[in-house]
Amino acid sequence: MSGTGSEVDVLVQRVVRDLSTALNRNRNIDEIGLIPCPEARYNRSPIVMVENKLGVESWCVKFLLPYVHNKLLLYRQRRLWLDRQALVDITCTLLLLNPDLTTAWNVRKELVECGALSPERDLYLGKLALSKSPKSPETWIHRRWVLLHLLQKAPPADQNQTDAERSRLLGEQLAQTLQQEMKVCADAACRYPSNYNAWSHRIWVLQRLAKGNVKVFLDELSSMRPWVSAHVSDHSGFHYRQFLLQELTGALAPPAGCSSNGERSAVEEPPHDLPAVQQLFCHELELVSDLIRSFPGHETLWSHRRHVFFLWHRWKEQHPGDGGDEGGDPAEGAQTRLSQTSAGVPMEVERGCSSDPQDIKRLRRGVPLPQPPTSQTEHVFVSGLLDGCGPEQRSFALAYRKWLDTVVGVPS
Amino acid sequence: MKLYSLSVLYKGATKSNLLKAAFDLSSFSFFQRSSVQEFMTFTSALIVERTSQGTRASVKEQEYLCHVYVRNDSLGAVVIADTEYPQRVCFTLLDKNPREADAMTKVQAELDETKIILHNTMESLLERGEKLDDLVAKSEHLGNQSKAFYKTARKQNSCCEIM
Repeated sequence: MSGTGSEVDVLVQRVVRDLSTALNRNRNIDEIGLIPCPEARYNRSPIVMVENKLGVESWCVKFLLPYVHNKLLLYRQRRLWLDRQALVDITCTLLLLNPDLTTAWNVRKELVECGALSPERDLYLGKLALSKSPKSPETWIHRRWVLLHLLQKAPPADQNQTDAERSRLLGEQLAQTLQQEMKVCADAACRYPSNYNAWSHRIWVLQRLAKGNVKVFLDELSSMRPWVSAHVSDHSGFHYRQFLLQELTGALAPPAGCSSNGERSAVEEPPHDLPAVQQLFCHELELVSDLIRSFPGHETLWSHRRHVFFLWHRWKEQHPGDGGDEGGDPAEGAQTRLSQTSAGVPMEVERGCSSDPQDIKRLRRGVPLPQPPTSQTEHVFVSGLLDGCGPEQRSFALAYRKWLDTVVGVPS
Repeated sequence: MKLYSLSVLYKGATKSNLLKAAFDLSSFSFFQRSSVQEFMTFTSALIVERTSQGTRASVKEQEYLCHVYVRNDSLGAVVIADTEYPQRVCFTLLDKNPREADAMTKVQAELDETKIILHNTMESLLERGEKLDDLVAKSEHLGNQSKAFYKTARKQNSCCEIM
């Protein structure tokens, strides 16, 4: 499109306004995208709304982006004054087109700090940006800043509220934020395979918002089961499970002499729930065995098995003589103790069942827990697979066996 | 673990005709879906054209795997899936003949002995000197928007999918 500078000015200002209007009018937009459209048609706005999806026709980007970017830089260099609303609109336009512009995110940080922009609105923009660029590092980094800001901001004191009431409301707000972040991470993980940035953010959120909260970790482990089963080569998804297992073992059975979390005095000292730890690992190894058999030849699954077995093996070494293979009925004890650890924690996150339904039935029937994993049981698993498997699966299986012998050592 | 499209085509003398197709494009960005669908049709037609009768093959292109079976009577079917979707399942699907309901085991046994040609890229299906870019430009399956999309996607390598 040829035109004078002022024609471009007018066009760009119109597009920025259209974008801002579209975002304000519809608060349920869940996705933005670029529409491949080489030429402008008629005199129509390049901003398109379909259902809850916002599209930007690609022809306008080459005018829009440099113009708006330039304005922001001039503002930063103090050569141009922009009021707060203009800054909000401009940074919004910029970041929806190119979410890795740190300067734009930093301007938004200033707007949040002075109260001109609500953190929730900013998180919403981030969510939209991630729908188009699910890996964008700057978007995730900025998101963590906003979340920290939200956590540190004291909610307004209301004299009519008791301390318990305030604590409960705070807990609810935290729970809501946690849910929201889990959803954003899940969507981003679906949009790009092995989305390391999305999964590390997910881990960061749990570490900040759910430290020591066994129920949340168990829920996450359970809800991620179908996901990893449908994404068997997503290494980051399995790494997340390794993180959850590690946190859970730390919370359920901390190393002798220290509690899992010294900061939160509201959480009662978790008892040493050793059968629960064994159950966790058995369950996880069952999952990965099932996937290895159903979907042969995926290295990610074998890598996950290594991690899981190693975590278990190291934990066993730190807790010699403990575990569910002792006498009595560890099954019932484990179930009651698991539900006890989640009592007294201020934050409730409502999800589905916290355990696999099969296991709950098993525990209620008083069926003993499966045998603890050992090097021997692992060798049996590998040998069972080697018959009649393809070349890739064979090489992974043999490499695993070699790892068992070399790294883990003598069968326990 | 995704199945994106299943197409049934007739392999004619010079080109293949699409008879029926089903798509699941929910994992793609909303505004890309129509282009993606056109590309999958283009790809399926091209694959059937370049596959001889009585052959099974798998063609890998970036993170997509296209599995094709062209029968001796020139009826062909193409499944486009991701790299996690098991190859065996795709070929069982392609071979399915509803009249032989108990033939699943028979098909499985046949598959074990069947040779499946593996192509590492779409390019290996083409004749010498043929370029994919030219075929895209000439294709009647692709609208202008899709052709423009293909060009920009080619320029921005790494994270962008061609299809």
